[in-house]
Amino acid sequence: MGLSEAEKTYVLHGVEENLRVDGRDREEYRPMELETDVVSHAFGSARLRLANTDVLVAVKIEVDAPFPERPYEGKLEFFVDCSFSSMITWVLNKMKPQMASSPMNSHMASKKMLAKERTIKMISMDIGLPSSSANATPNFEGRGGEVLAAEISNCLSSAYCSSLSFDLTKLCILQGKKCWKLYVDILILECGGNLFDAISIAVKVALRNTQVPRVKCIDMDGNNVEISVCHDMFDCQRLNVENAPVMVTVCKIGDKCIVDPDVAEEQCSVGSVVVAVSGNRFSTVLQTGMGSLHPLTLVDCLKMGHKVGQKLDEAVKEVLKESLRGGDVGFIK
Amino acid sequence: MAEQYKSLHPVKYYRDYLSHNIRPDGRVFDTFRPVILNTGSIDTADGSALSKLGQTTVVCGIKAELCKPKAESPNKGFVVPNLDLPPLCSPKFRPGPPSDQAQVLSQLINDIIENSQCIDLTDLCIFPDKLAWCLYIDFICLDFDGSVVDACIIALVGALKTVKLPFVDYDAALDNIQVNLENTRPLPVHSIPVSTTFAIFDDKIILADPTVEEENLCTGIIVIVLKDDELCCVHKPGGSPLSSDELLGCIEKSKKKVPLMRDLLKTALQDVG
Amino acid sequence: MPIDHKRINGPEDTLPYQLFTKLNRKSLEQKYKELVQDGKRHDSRAPLEHRKIFMKTGVVSQAKGSAYIEVEKTKVMVSVFDPREIPNRQDYSLKGEIYCEFKFAPFSCEKRRLHQLDAEEKQYSQIMKKALEATVCRHEFPNFQVDIYALVLHNDGSALSAAITAAGLALSHAGVPMYDLITSATLGIQKDTILIDPTTIEERICRTPFWKEKEDNEHGLVVLSMLHTHNQVAQFYQSGSISLDKLPHLIETLEKACADTIPVIQQCLVKHVIKTIKKSSNVIEV
Repeated sequence: MGLSEAEKTYVLHGVEENLRVDGRDREEYRPMELETDVVSHAFGSARLRLANTDVLVAVKIEVDAPFPERPYEGKLEFFVDCSFSSMITWVLNKMKPQMASSPMNSHMASKKMLAKERTIKMISMDIGLPSSSANATPNFEGRGGEVLAAEISNCLSSAYCSSLSFDLTKLCILQGKKCWKLYVDILILECGGNLFDAISIAVKVALRNTQVPRVKCIDMDGNNVEISVCHDMFDCQRLNVENAPVMVTVCKIGDKCIVDPDVAEEQCSVGSVVVAVSGNRFSTVLQTGMGSLHPLTLVDCLKMGHKVGQKLDEAVKEVLKESLRGGDVGFIK
Repeated sequence: MAEQYKSLHPVKYYRDYLSHNIRPDGRVFDTFRPVILNTGSIDTADGSALSKLGQTTVVCGIKAELCKPKAESPNKGFVVPNLDLPPLCSPKFRPGPPSDQAQVLSQLINDIIENSQCIDLTDLCIFPDKLAWCLYIDFICLDFDGSVVDACIIALVGALKTVKLPFVDYDAALDNIQVNLENTRPLPVHSIPVSTTFAIFDDKIILADPTVEEENLCTGIIVIVLKDDELCCVHKPGGSPLSSDELLGCIEKSKKKVPLMRDLLKTALQDVG
Repeated sequence: MPIDHKRINGPEDTLPYQLFTKLNRKSLEQKYKELVQDGKRHDSRAPLEHRKIFMKTGVVSQAKGSAYIEVEKTKVMVSVFDPREIPNRQDYSLKGEIYCEFKFAPFSCEKRRLHQLDAEEKQYSQIMKKALEATVCRHEFPNFQVDIYALVLHNDGSALSAAITAAGLALSHAGVPMYDLITSATLGIQKDTILIDPTTIEERICRTPFWKEKEDNEHGLVVLSMLHTHNQVAQFYQSGSISLDKLPHLIETLEKACADTIPVIQQCLVKHVIKTIKKSSNVIEV
């Protein structure tokens, strides 16, 4: 989808006047919709809709051996899938075992059922409208999707890298021998701009939603380690995501900066900066976009990203608190 | 004018030169290009060397790691050579898995290391059946201008001579490994293989140490590897047939290179001290 | 891990011997104390002093343009190839594309690197690509792609910066139209110590927070690339945990460091030009 010069000018003038095409001001996000527990067989999951952008995050856990040079830490890996075809197969593949698995305790099962229904609906919707969804952005064609996916997952791992943003030592089971490995699978169902922000929030929520099994006992026999895990579904640990980073993409359009650009605005921007805010610090800053920026503009972008990031983080935490109290669905604005 | 003629009729261009018994770069048929060897400049590797053969440049880096020996040969370590022809070195190569040429040459280098017995695998054993060294020998071509194997073998010997393995204390009862970095020993190198590449042009003219242009235009290639004065490996992947006299001629020519290489190694290693 | 049939494979499990040394067990905190002593770093540099840079063009005869950079021990080769049509692409792209590959040689780091690109190398390739996209006049070669390959032969810190600087030089050697010369610099921060152009050990120290107190545990690495004539930031990447108050100051420090590299590139280019002129005048005389 290309924009004509006139359309670009229109967007640019809107930004200048602090009244964007969809009526937002420069620091305003589009409405977000957040769901948790959407993938029943995953240890934790979340789905986030930010206007047209739709991302699904599922967390899986495995027992692994820690890196020899970092024996006290667990592992965290991000995988982003952008391509459209793999998206259908992914959802279909994930559906099969889900349909088959029925033995669950009553409470859990009812919750899962709901989730299952939702997922099914989601598939039919996407298969029905293949042309209008994920491959709407030219970025997704061919290897473009792969490159974008790599960029997002690299940015995530960099943002979660510092132990101040996410403490990997909590995932250690037995020093140097066993640890938990978290696989964070991110699936982009539909791209309506601003993937970084949407994904970072969804990841944070999914990690919060993750239930890490409690280790009952560890058997050591020479170099052989055996672990037994609690089978009770309710007796699990939650991860601390207090400082998990939230990313804000700050886009420069004309002389002004905006957050949460839609697809049209992304095309008008000359440069953008992705800012990952963890607590009140930056855990990662990455300049994206084609153009270059003046150092002062860069600092302005950082300031704006910092301000908005903290607000966003608070909003996410608010929702998380509420979701813990009861309902699983929340709205952030 | 010469440039245009060269790119339009490369074979004719070469024939014109060769009919006057000279090659376009000014060499006669059996002269080698100047060789440069620089050893031990990469200290993250346990042994390293850079060799230049005219423009052809190869870096060899050796990294030693610890592993468990194979059950069928409990007192032997491992040597894992790999040649990488990255897209960086020539527009011929594309990013991705190794090209056919890289695979063939890696295997050839592996054969040369095995046949010349320059490394005795039992030297790499630390504790039989429990612990041994594994030497990862990685060659990276930085500039692909013909006769890459020759450059690799020079770099290989240079790098092997600089390898210093730390002393390892292994406690079999506790399965405990203690490495002492202050106490190192050089790796014994038992022989010096010398490889020479020849290109066969128009089925009869034999060019020593061909450049990449000559390799592309020639009708056959032969690589001869000598260990001291013995023949240890000959690689001739198809191409023009070669009479036994011609083959013997090639071997004679490559014998001339052996003392040169020995001197080169000596001076290169003296610099390191 | 699946077996790579296209390479010669060693035994399944091998461990670097460095894991079993006594030295390895020295705590990082101890190393931090030794980081800067009497205003000097372990290689007797001042904290804000860049290492000496050596650059050379034309190191790869087969490439259109190439450059080699040595920042003391860090050694990087970059080569640039002729534009070629963008492969597997149906539509016409108005701007030319840049393909970047950043690779560590297997023996270039303390830990052995594998042959396939790992996540870090992919990330660095991306960052490099972004930096060069802002530098090259891409509208001059629509529908074509320029391939740029960087290979780190020896990594002693700040390899990404070295690669970006060298790539800029290689591009100008290849005669690719550019807006400006690009220079890049890295900086590490731990607590309130700022180190320009960190070495591998310093980089490692800056990656982990040491201190429990919240005010003290700032740490991280910052990479910045500049186009100086127009005073533009072509690329910016930060990792770790750094507060908003510090970052503008760090950006300024890096800007200065980038500016200091420019004369080295200029000298190198002048040398190349003089050499080429001499060569061509020789040919005419003959």
